[in-house]
Amino acid sequence: MSVIDNHAADSRARRAVRTSGLQLACLVISVGFFALPLVYLALQAFKTNNEFLNNPTGLPHPWTVSNFSDAWNEGDFSNEMVNSLLYAIIPDVVTLVLGVFLAFPISRGWFKHSNALYGFFVFSGFLPAGLIPLFIEAQKIGTYNSRIGYLIMTSLTGAGFFFFVGYIKTIPREMDEAAALDGCGYIRYIFTMIIPQMKPALATFGIFGFVAGWNNLILPLVMLNDQSLWPVTRGLFSFFGQYSSQWPLVAAATIIVALPILVVFAILQRNLVEGVAGGAAAGSGGVAVRQNPENTQ
Amino acid sequence: MSTIPFGTKRTRRWLPWASIAVPTIGWLVFGLFPSVSTVFFSFTEYSGFPGTPLHFCGLCNYSNAFNSSWSDFSASVTVTLKYVAGVTVLQIAIGLGLALLLRHRRRGFGFYRALIFMPQIFSVTIVGVLFSLVFDPQNGPAEPILHGAFGINTAFLGDKNWALSLVVLINVWMFSGYTMLVYIAALRRIPPELYEAASLDGAGRFRTFRHITWPLLANATTVNVFLTAMGCVGEYALIRVLTDGNYGTKTLGMYMFDTAFGVNPSLGYGSMLAVAQFVITLVIGSALLVFLRRREVTL
Repeated sequence: MSVIDNHAADSRARRAVRTSGLQLACLVISVGFFALPLVYLALQAFKTNNEFLNNPTGLPHPWTVSNFSDAWNEGDFSNEMVNSLLYAIIPDVVTLVLGVFLAFPISRGWFKHSNALYGFFVFSGFLPAGLIPLFIEAQKIGTYNSRIGYLIMTSLTGAGFFFFVGYIKTIPREMDEAAALDGCGYIRYIFTMIIPQMKPALATFGIFGFVAGWNNLILPLVMLNDQSLWPVTRGLFSFFGQYSSQWPLVAAATIIVALPILVVFAILQRNLVEGVAGGAAAGSGGVAVRQNPENTQ
Repeated sequence: MSTIPFGTKRTRRWLPWASIAVPTIGWLVFGLFPSVSTVFFSFTEYSGFPGTPLHFCGLCNYSNAFNSSWSDFSASVTVTLKYVAGVTVLQIAIGLGLALLLRHRRRGFGFYRALIFMPQIFSVTIVGVLFSLVFDPQNGPAEPILHGAFGINTAFLGDKNWALSLVVLINVWMFSGYTMLVYIAALRRIPPELYEAASLDGAGRFRTFRHITWPLLANATTVNVFLTAMGCVGEYALIRVLTDGNYGTKTLGMYMFDTAFGVNPSLGYGSMLAVAQFVITLVIGSALLVFLRRREVTL
């Protein structure tokens, strides 16, 4: 009996060791490779420039916070934060609503060639990048170097549309007919019935759209010339070029720019992670967060 | 075709069209039209400065690519192919490794997965600045580590033997979390009975992976390889921040951006490069799909 007991205890102990070994490996990899670089950067932001040059790899001593206020003022980040919020939120919301208005009639088959229309939209996603003609066009029609122009260009894309078509098909048609019989108008129906039913899909695309809009660097680089119009990504890029010799200041600016998106991530990481897993499960892969400017126009 | 229940007899006909009008027009003006006119501009000579003329010059940009600019053009194609191959292979391998490690529902694992997924929510500007610091040859932490361990001196992102590999690694760092999540979702769909049967048959860990896990992940591998490769063929935003296309990192996309929006802009030649990039994307994409689909069947 004791032999069996010993054996059981032994294997349990071995399993415990193996589990903790696995835990340790996961911890080291995820924290060491994926979080440590950021932590390292954050540490530099608390050093003075002299201290950084004397001791670039050590801990700050003493901790200084003046880099943050200096970076905030010199980089004009207060203005750029407002721009970034505008460029991330407005196109995101408009795109989602327009996407529903585009997807609803197509998924219901109210056109002679609904499927052909759908195929055409899908196909157009594979055409060459239109960044250069868009730049020429923007100069011609006056959306170049303008806040409103930038918002118009980024709002009228219909992102998420393909996914929406499939999603709306799961909402029964009988609901449309019942609502119409009760005298519900088309626009009211979409806002009060369809959109609430699509909450999970809209939330996922809303988050990814916000992140993509906030992070876009190439389009602001091409389309926005005046510093007063820049979002933080563009601002940080120039700041980095200007102060590249002062790492603590650049580190502070980077943390300032990274912090809002990090907070969003901390709150919504479950939705983001599930969004990817769900997209993969559906086999669509349609929720990639790739920041291809060609695709976010 | 079904009929719309909304609206009166009169409005019924145009109501669906009105619904799609704004997004469709927006997409035509800012999506389809620029895309298609890239091909048109690739046949022209145009600097893009206001007031300068636009010359139609036939195939001049294409012939330039194969004659006077051949060395630049061929170099950028080579860099692009290396970049795509490097990122795809590494990201699949690392993403799969991470997925195997973190697939279980255990305490703390959700946090680890979130950390690994985190880099891709950052702008390329943040990631670019971050790794410019890490690989700063004077004051970065990578230099003393590498020098201490291997006695190697290098300028990292400023060294033409290192820069491309580092940019590839940074790209993989940024997006391997996505690959991992797709693999984890697929791993969880593998029926556990298969593993029980395998262990009853005395199959070791490697054989189980080789004969059960890997074949059943074929679908996920197709998705991952395709998305990764297609996502990085046109990459240049990250490269723009890290090396600005110097030290052997000028991909076709970077070359296009440089040509069109650099010091001496040539929008015509840049458009030709965008078309070339499109052709390469198409070739790689269809080759991958054919290969991966066939592989799924035989596995």
